[in-house]
This record gives sequence, structure tokens and C-alpha cells, in this order.
Amino acid sequence: MKQNKIDFIKLLKGYKSGWIAISHDFNHVLFHGKNLKEAMKKAKNTKEKVYYFPAGESYSNFVG
Amino acid sequence: MIFPCSPLPDFKDKIILAPLIPVTFRNKNFEFSTFALVDSGASGAVISTVIAEALNIKWEKIPVTQGFSVGGSFRFYRFTDLKAIIYDTKLMADHEFALSVSIIEAISLYKCILGQKDLFQRAKITFEGYKSQLEVNFREYN
Repeated sequence: MKQNKIDFIKLLKGYKSGWIAISHDFNHVLFHGKNLKEAMKKAKNTKEKVYYFPAGESYSNFVG
Repeated sequence: MIFPCSPLPDFKDKIILAPLIPVTFRNKNFEFSTFALVDSGASGAVISTVIAEALNIKWEKIPVTQGFSVGGSFRFYRFTDLKAIIYDTKLMADHEFALSVSIIEAISLYKCILGQKDLFQRAKITFEGYKSQLEVNFREYN
């Protein structure tokens, strides 16, 4: 079974820094914080499972 | 199960495709869900200090160790009592396994990486760059 593509270009639109909190279906951003602590604080009372991801302008040139 | 590579933004309207999979980490009563880069070149799992703090790991109290990467040396803190949970959309069940992680300060871009000593021990992983996807098939245990 193929999982749906998680489109971070769409999700990160408008967010250039900080962290975003993403819905459990990976389709929309629920919260944004200037750091992870702030994003987690905003999502504290959310009942659904939340996935966190760091927001950045560019993910190119990563060598690992 | 098949994970399509995730498109990520770039400065030059170029699309970066990365093998990212959703994962939940558990440290006793603390859980944190994020997306891990699947990296066959990484010897083991890496998380940033901010993720460690979200999991209530007191990383400052762990003795520091020197590590090496292609970019040179780095300092890390080894934590050996973490659980990773990956949901299998094919079996509609969770795969949970214990892992040891290296906690690194000021890690850039990808804040979480799974590598050889953890995910690659638990699953057969096939990278299909020409299809922009990776396939993860967990081993069966009796």
C-alpha cells in the first residue's frame, strides 16, 4: 500500500522559520510557532495526533 | 509499504525530494511525532536537542561523546532508552522498536534521521529514486 505523498511545499508555504504542527492526515498545518516549544504549547489541547516539522526556506544542498 | 519522497521547498523554485517517513518517538510518558529522514549512510539515529527536550530527555546530564561525519567532527549525547513507532499503512498496525539515538546540538535542516543501527535492522528498505519513492517492509518476528 502506498502512503499519500506529504507535500511540504504546500504545507510550508508562508512559513520560513520556526516549527509547524501538521494534522494526522498530513494535509494541513494546525499551528505554527517561532520555535518548537511555542508550536507544542499551541497544540497542547488538540486531541488529534500532531506531527511537528521545522520550517525552512530551502532544503537543498544537504549532504549526509 | 511505499512512501513517496516528500517534495520540499528550495530557493530557486527547484523541488527537493527527500525520503521522509512519519515516526513517533516515546520516552516513558512523553511522545513526539515528526518526520525522519531515512539515511542509509547514517550509522544510527540522530535527533536534535529540541526534540530531546520535547521528549523530556535531560541530555545535558549525559556525558558528551565526539563523533565524525563527512563535514568533520561533532559532539553528541547518546540516549539508549527510546522507542520509535512507525505506522504500517499496509498492515494497519504499529511497528514499535527500541533504539539508541545520538542527540546533537544545532543540527540543521533535518532534525531527525533514522539509519543503519535502527530502521535498517528492522526493515528491508528499497530506495527507488527513479520512482521518487522508498519501500519499507518490516521484518516479521515470532
